[in-house]
Amino acid sequence: MNNDVIRREEFGNVAVLHILSTSVDTSSAAAIEASATLTDMRPITVLDFGNVAFINSAGISALLKFVVSARKAGNKLFAMNVSPHHQKIFKMVEMSRFMPTIEERDLATYR
Amino acid sequence: MERVLVNIPSDPIFERVVRASANELGQVIGLPPERIEDLKLAVSEAVNNAIDHGNQREVAKLVEVMFVLDHDKLEVRISDQGHGVEQPDFSRRIIEEQNLDSGMHRGFGLYLLSALVDDYELRSSQHGTVLTLRLYRKDMP
Repeated sequence: MNNDVIRREEFGNVAVLHILSTSVDTSSAAAIEASATLTDMRPITVLDFGNVAFINSAGISALLKFVVSARKAGNKLFAMNVSPHHQKIFKMVEMSRFMPTIEERDLATYR
Repeated sequence: MERVLVNIPSDPIFERVVRASANELGQVIGLPPERIEDLKLAVSEAVNNAIDHGNQREVAKLVEVMFVLDHDKLEVRISDQGHGVEQPDFSRRIIEEQNLDSGMHRGFGLYLLSALVDDYELRSSQHGTVLTLRLYRKDMP
């Protein structure tokens, strides 16, 4: 699925969801939440934050929809290209427990 | 002391205007990049709180943001035109496993804000709420 906020890439058991919105905030939260509901996940699903410059608490709440969807389907959810600042924020709210970070090079084995 | 005033309607899209201002002013006073990110997030949370809980998203009500640049700090005063709030909860909030499925995912904002600034102060009355955030320039003597 591709839309304004997510571009999807698939290989093997992996789906990489590239977040296109630079701000994951109150204004983009509804579209991101909708994507989480509509996106067909894979056993390994990776959210790519490479384009994301800003995340606030409303954005975190929206991202948690992906966590919920992944858990319901028994899939593993990872975060990739998370900036040091956003890693700090994820650690503060313990988001990293539910969506650990993965390096892009670790995905190479699945390609 | 210099002051910059930004007024926005209570629509979340305009929070981005305040955040952009915080970014510019953080650079003007020479905050390090990581502190500017902290400032942007704290201001974002405070403004969204004023829009949602203070002004109840009534677009005609304004959120006033006053940036006060001092030699040793940046102070940001966020005011709404609501009727006051009772005992906001700034305590530490984390994602609880048991709340995931219920969708109870909100409430991190004030905790993040309080943890990211050097100090903060909240004054609330029936005429509205003013939340003041302060970030100090740690390189100053």
